[in-house]
Amino acid sequence: MTHGSTRVAAGIALLVCVAVPLAAQGGQPTPAVTAPVISDTGSLKGPRQPIFFRHDVHAGQSHIPCLYCHYSATVSSEPGIPSLQTCGGCHFIVGGSTPTHQAEIKKVRELTSSNHAPEWVRIHTLPAFVHFPHMRHIKALGTESCNRCHGEVREMPQVYQVAPLTMGWCINCHLQRQVTRDCVVCHY
Amino acid sequence: MSDGMNRRRFLTVLGATGGGAALLGACGVGEEQAQKLIPYLTQPEDQVPGIATWYATTCRECPSGCGVRAKVREGRVIKLEGNPDAQVGRGHLCARGQAALEGVYNPDRVTDPLARNAQGQFEKISWTDALARFGANLKGANGHLAILTGQESGSFGDLVDELAKSLGGRHVVYEPFAFEALREGNRLAFGTTAVPSYDFARASYILSFGADFLDTWLSPVDHQTAFARAHGFAAGNPAMAKLVFVGPRMSLTGMNADEWLAPVPGTEGRLALAVASVIVRDRLASAQPDVGRLSGLLGRHTPDAVAAVCGIDAKTIERVARELAAGDGLVVAGGMAAHYPNGAEIVAAVNVLNYVTGAVGKTVQFGPNQNVEAGTFGQMAELVADMAGGRISVLVVTGTNPGHSLGGAFWQAWAKVGTKVVISPYLDETASAADLVLPELHPLEQWNDSRPRAGVWALQQPVMQPVYATARAAGDVLLAAAGKPGSFKDYLQTSWHAVHGRLGHGTSFDDFWNDALAKGGVASAASVEKVRLAAGVERILAGPPDAPALDGGAHDPVLIAFPSPTLYDGRGANKPWLQELPDPVSKIMWHSWVEVHPDTATSWGVTDGDLVVLQSPFGAVSAPVWMTPAIRPGVLAVPTGQGHTAFGRYAKDRSFNAFDLLGGAANGYAGRTFTVRVSVKTTGDHRFLATNVGDPRELGGGEEIVRSLTYAKAKALKPGDRPFRAREYPVYADSAEAGWAVAQRTEAARGNYAGHQPRWAMAIDLARCTGCSACVTACYAENNLPTVGEDLVLRRRQISWMRIERYWREDDHGLQAVVTPMLCQQCEQAPCEPVCPVFAAYHTPDGLNGQVYNRCVGTRYCANNCAYKVRYFNWFNFAERGGEWEAWPAPLDWQLNPDVTVREKGVMEKCTFCVQRIRGAQNQARLEDRTVQDGEITPACAQSCPSEAIVFGDLHDPASRVAQVSADPRGYHVFEELNTRPGITYLARVVHAEEA
Amino acid sequence: MTTHTTTRAQTPTHHTLSYDDVTRTIARTLGSPGRGYYVLLACAVTMLGIGVICLLYLFRYGLGLAGYSMPTYWAVYITCFVFWVGIAHSGTLISAILFLFRSGWRTAVYRVAEIMTVFAVMTAGLFPLIHIGRQWFFYWLVPYPNERGLWPNFKSPLVWDEFAIGTYFTVSTCFLIMGLIPDIAAIRDVATGWRKKLYTLTALGWRGTNEQWRHYRPAYLYLAALATPLVLSVHSVVSWDFAMSQVPAWHETLFAPYFVAGAIYSGCAMVITLLIPLRAFFQLEELVTLHHFENLAKLILLTGMIVCYAYVTEYFFAWYGGPTPEREAFWYRAFGRFWWAGWTMNVCNAFLPWLLWSKRIRTNLVALFVISIFVNLGMWMERFVIIAVHLAGEPFESYVRAGYNATWADWGIMLGSFGWFFMWFLLFVKNFPAVSVAEVKEELPPPEHAGRHR
Repeated sequence: MTHGSTRVAAGIALLVCVAVPLAAQGGQPTPAVTAPVISDTGSLKGPRQPIFFRHDVHAGQSHIPCLYCHYSATVSSEPGIPSLQTCGGCHFIVGGSTPTHQAEIKKVRELTSSNHAPEWVRIHTLPAFVHFPHMRHIKALGTESCNRCHGEVREMPQVYQVAPLTMGWCINCHLQRQVTRDCVVCHY
Repeated sequence: MSDGMNRRRFLTVLGATGGGAALLGACGVGEEQAQKLIPYLTQPEDQVPGIATWYATTCRECPSGCGVRAKVREGRVIKLEGNPDAQVGRGHLCARGQAALEGVYNPDRVTDPLARNAQGQFEKISWTDALARFGANLKGANGHLAILTGQESGSFGDLVDELAKSLGGRHVVYEPFAFEALREGNRLAFGTTAVPSYDFARASYILSFGADFLDTWLSPVDHQTAFARAHGFAAGNPAMAKLVFVGPRMSLTGMNADEWLAPVPGTEGRLALAVASVIVRDRLASAQPDVGRLSGLLGRHTPDAVAAVCGIDAKTIERVARELAAGDGLVVAGGMAAHYPNGAEIVAAVNVLNYVTGAVGKTVQFGPNQNVEAGTFGQMAELVADMAGGRISVLVVTGTNPGHSLGGAFWQAWAKVGTKVVISPYLDETASAADLVLPELHPLEQWNDSRPRAGVWALQQPVMQPVYATARAAGDVLLAAAGKPGSFKDYLQTSWHAVHGRLGHGTSFDDFWNDALAKGGVASAASVEKVRLAAGVERILAGPPDAPALDGGAHDPVLIAFPSPTLYDGRGANKPWLQELPDPVSKIMWHSWVEVHPDTATSWGVTDGDLVVLQSPFGAVSAPVWMTPAIRPGVLAVPTGQGHTAFGRYAKDRSFNAFDLLGGAANGYAGRTFTVRVSVKTTGDHRFLATNVGDPRELGGGEEIVRSLTYAKAKALKPGDRPFRAREYPVYADSAEAGWAVAQRTEAARGNYAGHQPRWAMAIDLARCTGCSACVTACYAENNLPTVGEDLVLRRRQISWMRIERYWREDDHGLQAVVTPMLCQQCEQAPCEPVCPVFAAYHTPDGLNGQVYNRCVGTRYCANNCAYKVRYFNWFNFAERGGEWEAWPAPLDWQLNPDVTVREKGVMEKCTFCVQRIRGAQNQARLEDRTVQDGEITPACAQSCPSEAIVFGDLHDPASRVAQVSADPRGYHVFEELNTRPGITYLARVVHAEEA
Repeated sequence: MTTHTTTRAQTPTHHTLSYDDVTRTIARTLGSPGRGYYVLLACAVTMLGIGVICLLYLFRYGLGLAGYSMPTYWAVYITCFVFWVGIAHSGTLISAILFLFRSGWRTAVYRVAEIMTVFAVMTAGLFPLIHIGRQWFFYWLVPYPNERGLWPNFKSPLVWDEFAIGTYFTVSTCFLIMGLIPDIAAIRDVATGWRKKLYTLTALGWRGTNEQWRHYRPAYLYLAALATPLVLSVHSVVSWDFAMSQVPAWHETLFAPYFVAGAIYSGCAMVITLLIPLRAFFQLEELVTLHHFENLAKLILLTGMIVCYAYVTEYFFAWYGGPTPEREAFWYRAFGRFWWAGWTMNVCNAFLPWLLWSKRIRTNLVALFVISIFVNLGMWMERFVIIAVHLAGEPFESYVRAGYNATWADWGIMLGSFGWFFMWFLLFVKNFPAVSVAEVKEELPPPEHAGRHR
């Protein structure tokens, strides 16, 4: 029954999302994932975030496209972090089913009302001298290609770094796809 | 303490962007990361992380009020550029304008209201407290109130007027360099105190009496653009204007003159009249109405008579007269000529000259007048007198710093004033002596407007959240203190309803307002008015403006204090970019100097860097000598701007204050006299001049680097001529060259280099470049160049990717200054590339000399092998927090461009044609499935250049502008014989010299 | 000249000595050190310490602490690098080339020359690492496979350099050890205590059997043959660090031979500088005779003449080449801001050696010592002039010409390099034979009744 109500919640969430044109970028349908119930969050991979935001629930189970929240990835070098406003867009209505969910959503609402931004722990970072234009990669690989570098976030209760993000790793892909390996394309 | 708050907002801003993270990392240098991601609470509609937003506003770094566009990334303004829609500036910006950023992010800003406590120390108080005190002061003043502001040609000025009136006080406007002489001179000659606009673009012969219209006079940026159009050489319009500069000192404007006449100081008026007399005598110009009135009187000023007085021989005077009358002449007087006690008469005389040549109404247009009418030094002197007389109980100062530019008399008067309130972003001299200091927002953070010229309304809007949330707009503070309702923005909009009424053309006010905001203002053509000679004009001609009596010993040398092109009256002194920007003439940084002619210097037995004590009746300073041929023997000149006793870490206790030598009394035309006689005492002391000029003994005239053509030769050039293009390699090397070319082609068919690639290139027209150095500061701003400070400059470690080289030459017109921008030439066969052991310097497919900062290990071989010496090394870690060489103490680092890596210590860096802009444009084009268009990419230097001397583009595209300009017969490469095949083509300068 | 010196000089072989004397004389040098030795060692270590401290500052704050100023991007450190590499060269020349030419007199001096080589290269090798801006990335100059697929630029002379120095260090070290083995064995047999153990270990089980000798001789010969070309190649490569650039006064085809000659020149001078005190210190007069010094002096004279010729050629072509940057550069060398450096180098390197035409000076140790010091100074100055001065006066871009003032960081690290060198040298001469026992013996007439062969 917990599942059921979660689905309801997610369903409403999805409705709200669809109302937003950005969500139209869903691309080909993704396999339906059912987010597991996490009893022991301590055992999860990746850093603990101030809010236990579950990508597997949002992106996986509810099929919210990555670009709904990380809205500028198609147009800008930066993917963007959703503002609390964005969270509120859904969670104004969606209150969460299980007590744990409700607790986390409550945090969001409190932060919004107290005008405090959550300090997310940064997971994917590049050195200062590397310039990675998200939009060009999405332009080339499609809006569903985030997982090539970020892994199957749809299935991650808590996000962790999958790819090493080292230069060798970049170069390999550029080699395979026979695209530029000019230094000053990324380093300037 | 607002610091934590700033830090927080900083991170908030950062959080939204990896670019920002890169920036923060960059500040720590190397691979330090932002560990927290802090999202926006509410996403601003007009902000997309990683994409810049542009806001139109108005530059307030000097009274001319150019329109600028502010580039905002993640809520922080990171670059200013000229606003093409603006009526003033027309898309270009000078060095001082570029440096406004270091004003808003200045590390020495006032963060909280400060009040003097019992011990006479400042202590922080709350705004409510501060406003209460201020309000009480205003009320308590009952009439004995004065509000002192800088030149405020807009609504803020009106507001202050109203408040002053309503409170029974008065509003005094004080600009250290105002234009009283100009206004009085126009009144004498034409009966109007209006300051006309001068059409340099239209003039074919410009005769400037001391007017530094390219650097500090009226609206320099506009003048430069116009001047470049007239004076620049284009195959299209062979009519190339000639500029003759008359003045005892060669200023930046003088350096661009084809001929420099150095008369006895103060006799410029006689010279003008002599020229006029020749024109009238020989009927060189079509007779103007009531010239008859003059002809008789002009007769007195025969060239021979005047030659004796001003030291310019009669032949020259006759020639100038003929040349001037030949075409559309334009004569301007200002600068040092308008700073003598007889400045007004000189201006009047020049007006007469303009009148007889028929320039008035053509190149001199009354109607679209320059709005510099507020305030005279006379009024300031009155105020000081009233202060001294105890007739002022409350003095409010904002937007000006009289404490720096006025001497002892002012401070004595200041002490007599009951309460001194200063509203200012900085603790300058005046503020640090005040009783109450209210932190003001920087112009980039607050609303305002200005009317720089009749028919132009320029808007000024906040382009970012205040850096210090505790600072407030001066207008708001005054309104609140005076107990008036509403904010200053409301006041502004109310006054704009009037503008809307005039120019709205039926649009709704909101549309009108938003449109004005987007464009940076509105404009309507101001009609040209006719002027006639005033009644009293004969008086000028009768009582000839002769060499004036100056304060000081009769036989002492004359000293001229002139506004610094970089620091102006001193307001730029706390901005490291401007401190480290070499003065366009002397090339000296970080300190002041006194200009002495070599002959004079030898007669005193002093040389470069020797300290001499200059003693005027009003004060004494110790100044290092800079020997220059660009000044009349026996005359001395010192720049203003340095010698602050407060104002911040970069300005304080630097060199000497030229104002200390000047008197505080207003002269005949209610202006200030900037010339004085000084006695010179040599001291044994010496200091090295912080300059970027090579050892003078070996400097020479730079013939290898700056090529010149005479006007006649240039006109005779046909397309395809290559007067400068030498064979790039000797005959016997032909076969080798051919083989090499084949090898290159095969190389270029591989991997990254395959397919069509652009060849980024640049063309620089030396006939247009004035050496104003706007490009240099623009480069600092765009590319995160560190300022290294005076000590390192003295050790030749300045990091300035673009440097303006200045050489002296002698030709048949006497001394000539030649300037050229020197930056990385992006050689096709670059000497720097093969010698790098780690491929940090390498050739990119699109023809740049790439420099991979994170690969560089710092062997510096590339720099040794570069003939142009345009590679710069990071000797220290200039980004180290609190380090001895820190270049960006917080919050200066907020200005750093997130698209450009901040270089680590031990790596080589150099110009790459603003590769970040190239990549940006390419990314955008790719998103839109198109190729990059010509003109889409503009490097910072080219964008800023007021004389439009720099063209950038793809040389492989024959239709591109750069390809066409580079094909100009005047084009040449520097050190062509090295066969480096530079990507930069210089177009030879063209000089108005007779054929040898 | 005195008969005494003539007899000594004309008789290369030590007819007065027996095998036994030789062993004893050399073994004596390894006796327990006196106070003088410790004082010297302490000085060396202190100098090294100063250098290390300066170095740490340099790493922490950046190269700005040194005296560099645009356009003088290379200065004292590279000067020291070339100087030390130069010092190294005579070693190989004396030990390898003279060995191939079978010139017997080398035997007494070659060991000193050789250890000098090894330690000088060790010193020189440090400077390229010290002088780069990000010393912690020095390994990027070495080719090693990496995920980034990045390699050093084999076009760059600096990369050739690192190979040249590397090879040179390896070969000369092998050569030194090779020559040492029989001697160590000899010492082992007379030594006691911990030294005994040390020598037993380092002698690599040398027993001096005929078979061992049969393999040893050709091996030594081949190594000598291998080392010989390095004498010419290494410093040629070093010279290309400059000749391959387009800097006027660097870009010269003359550079390779010019540098090699200069290297041997300075090297021989250094040998003399070291050998004269050493000889007095260890009372090696019996083994190291005036005859050796005279031969070294002749080498100096020869190479000095070549260097002198090179200088003249440089000036001649600068003049002959017409009004070019080249001419400006050499005008600057002679009369520019650093004229004193230019003239020091001319006097010390081009004029001083002429004194050596006189046999009296060649055989006067005091004179030789003084001259050798001046030659060392002059050769250091030569490198300084070529590197720092010609960069400071770089004639293309006259606008950025500037002076150059070395700082404590420059001098400190240079001092440190001398400390480093002398520390190793002192440690070696006290623990290993500074004169080859075996080879000296070869020069002796065979004893009347063999048998006591140590």
